[in-house]
Amino acid sequence: MLSNNSHALAVDIGGTFTDVVLLRSDGLRWTDKVLTTHHNLLEGLFGASDLVLEQAGLGYEDVTDIFAHATTVITNMLIERKGKPTGLIVTEGFKDVLYIRDEHRYDMFDPQIEQPEPIIGQGWTWGVAERTYADRTVGLEVSDTDVKALAAELKANDIASVAVCLLNSYANPANEQRLRDLLVKEMPDLIVSLSSDVAPQMREYLRASTTALNAYAAPTALPYLKSLVEQLAARGRNDEPLIMMSNGGVVGANVAGRYPVRMIESGPAAGALVASHYAKRYGFEGLMSFDMGGTTAKACLIQNGEPLVTGEFEVDRRYRFKPGSGMPITVPSIDMIEIGAGGGSIARMDSLGLLKVGPDSAGSQPGPACYGRGGTEPCVTDADLVLGILDADNFLGGDMALDLDAARSAMGRLGDKLGLSVEETASGIFGVVGEYMAAAARAHATDRGVNYRGLPVLAFGGAGPVHACYVAEQLESSQILYPPMASVLSAYGTLVTPTRLDLARSNLTALADVTQDTIAPLIAAMRAEGEAALAEAGIAADAIIADYAADMRYQGQQSEVTVSLPGDPRHGFDPADAAQRFEADYEALYGVRLADMPIEVVNWRMSVSAGDQGREAKTALAATPGAPKGQRTVHLKSGALKVPVYDRASLALGQSIPGPVLVEERETTIFVLPGWTLSPAEDGCLIAERY
Amino acid sequence: MDGVDLELRWSNMISIVSEQARALKRVAFSPIVREAGDLATALFDADARMVAQAITGTPGHINSLGAAAKNLLEYIPPEDLEEGDVLITNDPWMSAGHFFDITVLTPIFRKGKLIAYCGSTIHHTDIGGYGVGAGARDIHEEGLWIPVLKLYEKGEPNKTLHAIIGRNTRTPDAIFGDLSAQVASGKVASERLNALCDRYDMDDIALVSEEIISRSAKATREAIKALPGGTYHGETTFDVPGGEVITLKTAVTIDADAGDITIDFEGSSGPSKSGINVVMAYTQAYATFAIRSLLNPDLPNNYGSLSPIVVKAPEQCIVNAQYPVPCNARHVVGMYVPFPILNALSEILPERSVAEGSGAVWTIQIQGKDHAGKPFTSSMFNYSGGMGARATKPGLSATCYPTGVSAVAIEVLEAAMPIAFTCKELLRGTGGKGQSVGGDGQRIGFKMRSGHDWLLNAIPSRLTLPAKGLQGGDPGATGAFLINGESTLPAAKKAMAPDDEVLMHTPGGGGYGPPAP
Repeated sequence: MLSNNSHALAVDIGGTFTDVVLLRSDGLRWTDKVLTTHHNLLEGLFGASDLVLEQAGLGYEDVTDIFAHATTVITNMLIERKGKPTGLIVTEGFKDVLYIRDEHRYDMFDPQIEQPEPIIGQGWTWGVAERTYADRTVGLEVSDTDVKALAAELKANDIASVAVCLLNSYANPANEQRLRDLLVKEMPDLIVSLSSDVAPQMREYLRASTTALNAYAAPTALPYLKSLVEQLAARGRNDEPLIMMSNGGVVGANVAGRYPVRMIESGPAAGALVASHYAKRYGFEGLMSFDMGGTTAKACLIQNGEPLVTGEFEVDRRYRFKPGSGMPITVPSIDMIEIGAGGGSIARMDSLGLLKVGPDSAGSQPGPACYGRGGTEPCVTDADLVLGILDADNFLGGDMALDLDAARSAMGRLGDKLGLSVEETASGIFGVVGEYMAAAARAHATDRGVNYRGLPVLAFGGAGPVHACYVAEQLESSQILYPPMASVLSAYGTLVTPTRLDLARSNLTALADVTQDTIAPLIAAMRAEGEAALAEAGIAADAIIADYAADMRYQGQQSEVTVSLPGDPRHGFDPADAAQRFEADYEALYGVRLADMPIEVVNWRMSVSAGDQGREAKTALAATPGAPKGQRTVHLKSGALKVPVYDRASLALGQSIPGPVLVEERETTIFVLPGWTLSPAEDGCLIAERY
Repeated sequence: MDGVDLELRWSNMISIVSEQARALKRVAFSPIVREAGDLATALFDADARMVAQAITGTPGHINSLGAAAKNLLEYIPPEDLEEGDVLITNDPWMSAGHFFDITVLTPIFRKGKLIAYCGSTIHHTDIGGYGVGAGARDIHEEGLWIPVLKLYEKGEPNKTLHAIIGRNTRTPDAIFGDLSAQVASGKVASERLNALCDRYDMDDIALVSEEIISRSAKATREAIKALPGGTYHGETTFDVPGGEVITLKTAVTIDADAGDITIDFEGSSGPSKSGINVVMAYTQAYATFAIRSLLNPDLPNNYGSLSPIVVKAPEQCIVNAQYPVPCNARHVVGMYVPFPILNALSEILPERSVAEGSGAVWTIQIQGKDHAGKPFTSSMFNYSGGMGARATKPGLSATCYPTGVSAVAIEVLEAAMPIAFTCKELLRGTGGKGQSVGGDGQRIGFKMRSGHDWLLNAIPSRLTLPAKGLQGGDPGATGAFLINGESTLPAAKKAMAPDDEVLMHTPGGGGYGPPAP
């Protein structure tokens, strides 16, 4: 697919930086980053792109391979609530679905919890008389005259976009479709998001929440993407840009614009895909990616080369980042855990005299005490500095001097309370934060039936490489990968991602009753949707690779297990084989197998993709083995160690350095503990191995 | 042990029981567990003291599980336990107050030595007898009573007990599925605790447990010592199914020198004839919950932090059920237990108090026939009224307090039985007015679609007496339970005609502070 000198360009717009990678088909690459331009995100996008193209001496017309893009534009607008007037249309009698939620108090012991204000308020919610039942029968059809009256109301309220979520539409979308057709007759420019289209799955609150968010985001997403396409074209690049989705696939800008809710986690998803890329490259069956930044740490499990995907996540957690305090979204997304433990996490002593780290964070303003911006609380980065892992004079390549004295005195104040020395306190923080991350990773893996013991770890993010080795030891891992281009890794992730779309359809049937009549229309519909979407991204129907799965459960249970199917179920679906696969997966997850319990299928899933395109960047290593540029004393619990310090760029293939060792690059520092050896690999990765 | 070493070990223990709880919730057949999170898991030391508990679950379960280990071990002492044994009971007085809640306790061994126990309580689908509701006349009518027994012996299932459970319950498959999940989760916790001991080179958890428990007790006493000493009085009055009016009175005595709190329910209503009597363990669970939510929220919940709080009630009292009174629907009264305590202490802790709310969740169960004429028994499902207002925040609408279980989605219920909901919307303005307003109740309507007669088993409350406001706030609106538009006060299972329609108005929460004029 790639010619010898084609170029691919990737831009990842994050909260702080806009990162860009230009990749030539032979692996040569250029990277850069600029500050994100929040007033107009495309300004930063093109600013950064201009920089790398200039470096390479190329123009946009030379980007003949893909242009891939991950962006926080949707997440930001949802959090800032700066969307245009958006309506919600539901079955009459159920208008408060977003207010009532699932009635759950997500923290039983905290009487002060808060729920987010619905993204679409009661003033812009309308009920229509209609009824569909779970058995797909339509009890009452949507009436013409009702829709005319509704359209008048929508016009009067300047509504530009509506979410339609009618009861049981996951089972039969006829009423939703009829409502849409009637509405657009009255209002041709209205953007309509149907719940049976956006998230066709059972449970009205989750579906309504997802559809409402989609409708709310659409009036921002569509012009943003349209403008991206137009500005690219004006610069000489005409093919449709590809947009990163939360599920780890990329799709064309047109499809992305219809489902902006699927773009929400696009940046983090791109990061996870790099992990998937390296897992495949190194032949690891499983891998744990570990990304630690300023306020949080994220981990993602890669199994058989692919990141785990979940069907539900939350956006904009309003109350202390607590699960349950955000708005739920049920679209496939990379299954990641995020915990409040980053470089800016604040350490304190609780009322039991225990050392706690996070989830409160000093962020980047005022930041850790050592930033010298007025922060006085001891943070994880302060501990790293006090321990000698970080160099006060060489943070961000020396662009930002750190204040060691400020870090030590913040540490001392906490140490006095705990009865510990400055170094003991710092090494306590280092240990506790490492243990939190390991515990979260263990829980995440155990929950998903994955054995975490011995999984290789991929470390990135500003603080990831500092802490990864300690965390890896807690997870009994014996291999850690430190990839190159750590600071633009998410952008790179969008380039190593196949164009892919995940689809699902609900159809509750006992496994024993599944026939071709059940399956064929659902799979055909998903296939058609998938083909159309991929065609827009330039993928021919015969190049599509499809994977199939079914969400199954024992009859009477409520949560399902997604079970991979061996092939297209339209060609020879074998219920006995499916049952065996389900029971094996179930046992792996829950440790039990329930004999003679009937099984039912809830959802059918299909994933269509263009397959791996083989893009890969090369990173040059030094020609000759480098020598340490210095030495630092690092204080660990076991005592003080003399540790050699290398520049990453000075390391050469064949070099093998026993730990403890520190390796510095501009954006991060790799800290390898005693008992490990660090050596560069051909692709520019550094690999630590336990001996 | 310093604050770092202790934190490293203890945070691990909490994550072990929390994972256990999440796994149970996902695997459960019992809808009230999987949808509503009605479960608890905890870790106990070798002396049967609760040292860590999962951060999920309902207060009634968590705090009553806390006392369960000791109770079980009085019947089967530790010296009679071997590796692979698993204990079980649903004795209301020993664990969570009604037969539906089955507690499973797994002794954890390390190199042949008993070092800990892990326990779980979950609300099972059925336990035979009367079924959901308050209509049984004594406890024996309420279902199968499982005394403290070994469910597994040295890894082998107790076949006699399994056969008895199988014959005396309506949904044995679901119960066995959930019991095996409880047993499996105990096994996982045991492995995880051993792995933790390996990582930190510990023979047992005695030292960690002792440190945590003594530090928790000390910190709790310190928090209590910071309060003004004295005895404070509070009460709440509410109506329960059938129209019976219940009063709960508390005298809360703060001993600021010793750092103790005593809560005495003297003067509260006597035992009820219907199944809403509350065993002491459950009363204690909700009473300590109230205290905990008023004290430093930083404090963990364990044997140490619970020990300075003493709960008392006379023997002839609805919150100290004595054999053989029925107690199947004990949550109807139990969920009101925090209100008199919060009312009493609002005098000294106004900023942390919460006004009375709708109280107990309304629970419903339906028995009928589907379109094909096949009989079904629905799972129990529940809906909330409004929560009381907080000092600076409104009460949450359609959200219960002190519990806060989720409602099952309408689409899930409609897919599971021939029911059709006609509405589910907020009743705006039903929360009490005040500086902060109480949470609103909601309107929920449903009927059956199958054309057969059916049985309705509903447990509403606060149909005549509203949630009081606090600090001058207005009361919330009372609830209503309507069948074909007519108000009723259902107490027991009610026979329904095919086309009967039910409409429920759940109550609003009380307001906080005087409303603006």
